[in-house]
Amino acid sequence: MTTVPTTQTAPHRPRRPFPFGRLLAYLALALVILISIFPIWIVFKTALTGSRNIFTEATSLWPSEPTLINFQRVLGLVSLEEAQAAGGSGSAVNFLNAMKNSVIFTGLIVVGQTFFSAMAAYAFARLRFPGRDAIFTLFLIAMMIPGIVLFIPNFITIKNLGLLNTLPGMIAPFILMTPFAVFFLRQFFLSLPRETEEAAFLDGAGPFTIFWRITLPMSQGPIATLAILTTIGMWNEFFWPFLIAKDEASFTLPVALQVFKSQTPQGVPDWTGLMAGTFIAAVPVFLLLIVLGRRVVESLAFSGTK
Amino acid sequence: MQKLLTLTAALTALSGTASAATTLQYWLWDSNQQPAYQQCAANFTKKNPDITVKITQKGWGDYWTGLTTGFVSGTAPDVFTNHLAYFPEFARNNQLVDINPLIARDKVATNIYYPGLAQLWTKDGKRYGLPKDFDTVAIFYNADLLQKAGLKPSDLANLTWNSKDGGTWQRTIARLTFDKGGNNGLSPKFNKKQVAQYGYMTPYGAGFNGQTEWAFYTATTGWKHNNGPFSTKYNYDDPRFAQSIQWLADLNLKQGLIPSFQEVQASGGDSLFRAGKAAMVTNGSWMISDYTSKLPFKVGIAPLPKGPDGTRKSMFNGLADSIWVGSKNQDAAWKWVKYLASAECQNVVGRTGVVFPAIPSATNLAVAAQKARGVDSSVFVNQAKAKGGTFLFPITDAAAQVNDIMTSTMQKVFLGQAKAADVFKDANAKVNALFK
Repeated sequence: MTTVPTTQTAPHRPRRPFPFGRLLAYLALALVILISIFPIWIVFKTALTGSRNIFTEATSLWPSEPTLINFQRVLGLVSLEEAQAAGGSGSAVNFLNAMKNSVIFTGLIVVGQTFFSAMAAYAFARLRFPGRDAIFTLFLIAMMIPGIVLFIPNFITIKNLGLLNTLPGMIAPFILMTPFAVFFLRQFFLSLPRETEEAAFLDGAGPFTIFWRITLPMSQGPIATLAILTTIGMWNEFFWPFLIAKDEASFTLPVALQVFKSQTPQGVPDWTGLMAGTFIAAVPVFLLLIVLGRRVVESLAFSGTK
Repeated sequence: MQKLLTLTAALTALSGTASAATTLQYWLWDSNQQPAYQQCAANFTKKNPDITVKITQKGWGDYWTGLTTGFVSGTAPDVFTNHLAYFPEFARNNQLVDINPLIARDKVATNIYYPGLAQLWTKDGKRYGLPKDFDTVAIFYNADLLQKAGLKPSDLANLTWNSKDGGTWQRTIARLTFDKGGNNGLSPKFNKKQVAQYGYMTPYGAGFNGQTEWAFYTATTGWKHNNGPFSTKYNYDDPRFAQSIQWLADLNLKQGLIPSFQEVQASGGDSLFRAGKAAMVTNGSWMISDYTSKLPFKVGIAPLPKGPDGTRKSMFNGLADSIWVGSKNQDAAWKWVKYLASAECQNVVGRTGVVFPAIPSATNLAVAAQKARGVDSSVFVNQAKAKGGTFLFPITDAAAQVNDIMTSTMQKVFLGQAKAADVFKDANAKVNALFK
């Protein structure tokens, strides 16, 4: 058995050649980070620019007269007249209400979709019932249908249910499950050791107890991954809430930010307001990734090796 | 205590009027106009305490999507600002209330507006809206760039245009175009591949009507879009039309005096003008306050160039307020439309100086309000008043399909992939086939 000499304790390290390879790797990494951060930087910079200077200072990296007015008008802290005087479109967003709607919309869907998908996945992975494999094949086929063709039938259903303009109407098509989530979790559940469950079964546990007390706790990683990915996806979901929410009271953030688009056919978007709104809207996702970032990476790596 | 107060307030409101309180939904797309209409709504509620108006503003793109899905799903607003490009389709699908019987019943005068505006909203003896404002087109210029090039605003007052050499209009554009070496577009040394500043920019916005892009050129050649409102025959195959569009395309393709189609698409609309990299742009009167108050340089307004027929011609377009057939508050909706079209509300709108109201006296208020801000907007109004100075928006069925055909055809010409003389005949045949 050979041991690698630890360099830590060695008083005189042998001179190593300058680590060009490593330097190159770091440079490449820095470049990639810079390229990924740059758009966010531009969003932030534009949000700090006064409307008057937006086009003349498009290429500079920092506004000549930084201002917070865009954040103020997005948050509704200044009046319509003041917003227009500052060069904004004067469009008002009920930001807190939209934020509340977004949190409810995303929260309920993430909890519902993850939980129900896990139950379905468990059934497909462990329970025996007639037609199981046929139904699962149907599921896989459902994954191939592009979401866009479902919008019209979904819209008609929601309309006939009288749920237009309501949060339940916005949440309904997403809350139960997605084929992908079921497929993803089923593959994971299949890889779990059967013995634990059989032992629990012998101790008298029913399928739901086994699912709730054994399978779920053992699957924290993939479930967290799914939940976080769904959170990001739903937080940014635009088209469906846009179709359903006609009234400002039911707007989610991505829909509410639409008011900064072009006002008139020849006009230009209110870029500074839009960027300020976008920046604030992205903050919760940033926070989520900062708090749970390590977890996401771990679980992705974990599920990747399965 | 608070509860008690609200309760009493609610009770008095109920006892004061026979009907319960109504909330009207009203939509518009231009947030610049929202404060004015908010004021109108407040004044209206003062006169009609049982009706409150809730104004929703949506940007141009979403506005029409929102309305169409609203009609289908029954969530459309009671009253909304309507556009000439859209109302024929809405009318054909029976989404708009014919207000002629109401006008007759209440003896509402429809001759108080600029001539022609009210008629735009009629078809087959039915009427789908009352005029709220009008717009014409003119040249907006960057006064700083004009001065730097040694030009005076008066130099822009009497420009001429033709599709052969572009006239004094093209020469002025060339004088205001500079390459990176500082040569202007008239100099033989001018390098059209290295342009630092353009003399003019068109938003290209191809489309079927060309309101702010090309219609004011083509109209002065004697050309007409079609043979009047709801005509089923278009004239895009006319050589005068092809020559005018080719001239505009060549300003970029051959001369390099205006930004290319790709450049404008990439930066969006009039961004180069806003960035101080294009000296002039043609646009509608609804952009006055946007350009003159929100840019870091001084913006002036000049009349359109005169064309081959010796006159300058602008498209005359107007907006109106329409009532949705599905509205559950038809009476209140009609009251509100009537109020919006009245001098009382239009004076309020005029005083804000954002758009030109349809009633001439209210328009004078708008011009005065702009003058007080140091902006001379009389060019637009003079254009509307001039005899033969305007032609009407091409009102048509199937506007969306005509627009699709013409947009893609024009793109080919603007990109230099096709000659106008070759492609418009074919496009026109396709357009006319829509009405067979």
